[in-house]
Amino acid sequence: MKVLSFIETRNLLKKYNITVRGTELFTEEKEALIYAKKIGFPVVLKVSGEKIIHSTEQNAVIVNIKDEKEFKEVFNALDKKFKDKEGILVQKQFKGKELVIGLNYDQTFGPVIMVGLGGIFVEVLNDVSFRVCPIDKKDALAMLEELKGFKTLLDFRGSKEVDLEKLIELLLNLSNLIIKEEDVHSLDFNPVFVSDTEINIADLLIIKK
Amino acid sequence: MLKYIFNPKSVALIGASNEPKTVGSGIASNLLKSKKKIFFVNPNSKKVFGKKTYSSVLEIKEGVDLAIIAVPGKIVNFVASQCVEKKVKGIIVISAGFSEVGNTEEEVNLRKIAQEGNMELIGPNCLGIINTKDNLNASFAPLTPSKGNIALLSQSGAILDAIIDISKNKSYGFSKIVSYGNEAGVDLSDYLEYLATDKETKVIMMYLEGINKNGRKFLEVASRVSKIKPIVVLKSGKTESGKSAALTHTGSLAGNSKIYSSVFKQAGIIEVDSLEELLNTSKALSFYNRSQNGVGIITNGGGFGVLAVDYLDLDGVKIPKLKKETLSKLEALEKVKTKNNPLDVLGDALADRYEIAMEALLQQKNIHTLFIIQGMQMMTEPEKTAKIIIKLRKKYNKPIICSFVGGDFFKKAIDMLEKNKIPNVEEIKRATKVIKNLTYEK
Repeated sequence: MKVLSFIETRNLLKKYNITVRGTELFTEEKEALIYAKKIGFPVVLKVSGEKIIHSTEQNAVIVNIKDEKEFKEVFNALDKKFKDKEGILVQKQFKGKELVIGLNYDQTFGPVIMVGLGGIFVEVLNDVSFRVCPIDKKDALAMLEELKGFKTLLDFRGSKEVDLEKLIELLLNLSNLIIKEEDVHSLDFNPVFVSDTEINIADLLIIKK
Repeated sequence: MLKYIFNPKSVALIGASNEPKTVGSGIASNLLKSKKKIFFVNPNSKKVFGKKTYSSVLEIKEGVDLAIIAVPGKIVNFVASQCVEKKVKGIIVISAGFSEVGNTEEEVNLRKIAQEGNMELIGPNCLGIINTKDNLNASFAPLTPSKGNIALLSQSGAILDAIIDISKNKSYGFSKIVSYGNEAGVDLSDYLEYLATDKETKVIMMYLEGINKNGRKFLEVASRVSKIKPIVVLKSGKTESGKSAALTHTGSLAGNSKIYSSVFKQAGIIEVDSLEELLNTSKALSFYNRSQNGVGIITNGGGFGVLAVDYLDLDGVKIPKLKKETLSKLEALEKVKTKNNPLDVLGDALADRYEIAMEALLQQKNIHTLFIIQGMQMMTEPEKTAKIIIKLRKKYNKPIICSFVGGDFFKKAIDMLEKNKIPNVEEIKRATKVIKNLTYEK
């Protein structure tokens, strides 16, 4: 089992038309700050490295960094605390509805894809659905509609309906990835932020066999 | 290739026995009921059920299509090799003691023997198979099931026996029954493939604990077969405790139940929750084809109607509004002031009110299935109503599910319905489950 680095992950996803937006990897504070200013505050700083699989639990992620001063403090603190790392990710503070998306190997059925609603939906209500890969458009829509909280993705209490077309496309691309990349064991996107215009993968993890 | 298993010309039972209450005598007495050429093999007794025995399969002069092996686990592979030598076309290994108890090596060897000998292998660790068409009961099930168009594949012998007993002398019956055991040779997908083209089979009913092997093949085959014939499945081992019971039972891993349910959906398989739902649904499908989403409800009690709507709505079954044309046809029902779907023809309804209501609703295009509910009231005419239902079922050819709710009062009427292949489910919720399972989205 091997955890892919951010760069490896990004390259692999690119092959399947999955773009990681608003996120860049840096080792130098100066360049990192230029990028943060470009995407605009607030931003997120996250340590990336093979040893950091659960960034939140390992205190390797700091969200909602509001200005240049705070940025420098946090960047340096993380840099000192985590010696063994690939670098530090600067990421836009994404907005939208939270989803979890994953790929895995089932002993009986082989590669499976999972989608669920993030936050309490997945943690408390276990609101997730599965399909065996490969899936088609119809399967992708059905697995979203199966979620108990599906309605929250639609035009719900004043929030706009998320871009379902894009979301379905992402699921199909992932299904394609697990079928073609035989050495990929599992993949986790948790969370993914979806809005009416875009899909942003905030946290990603790919494990090879 | 399975034709030699289900339609053999000659059958040898290896391990035939006279001793009452044994597997060897159970199968022997079941086999004698068929008109096939039967040979009994047992080196230790001269006669079984008055019939001459052979000391080994090799001693039989005539050809043997199918051999049933019911000998101690340790000598199964030896006997199987003899069957290869005899050029037997297929074997059913009843004997246990293989992968289900961790003895994988012996099972692999058995599989090799069959494969290299070009011989079909059913089991091991199974109850056998039944083909009602030829009265062939190659199993130790205590009863032979009624004939019909349902095929049953079961991973549990006990559930299979129970289903045979429950369905005896009912309005439905079976074409083929298979207890498939450890699937060392023929696997679940192979049976589905065979049943897809089997003329006697209209519905495939399955009891499943876990898929032993070839999960992806199962998904691929079932997706194809379910477009030809409906497949109904009851899957057990959904909880952690249930799972460990299954693990010790058939040696299969009852995987994540969510994944199983997803596979069933993907494959177009109808998944049910209970043995009763399995039977009710398979029965309805043995009478009717699946229908599009849209049910009309007629009742003589408002309460039943509300219950039905609650259940159907939760299950995603559509209850279309009545159209203008339908409403004008219903004008004949003078006493009925409120006309909706569900249509309450009121407690004092005689059979004629049901007839007018049914004719009108059956003619509405987006009503694809009819749900007729009747409770006991002073004026209720169960048999007359049943007659009308039977007549209109023939006239419109749309599925009609009945729920005559009660006891003795409806017994005769229910018998009439069932005899005419109209299912009655005596409880509203269970009836709505059948309607849901009959429905497919176009």
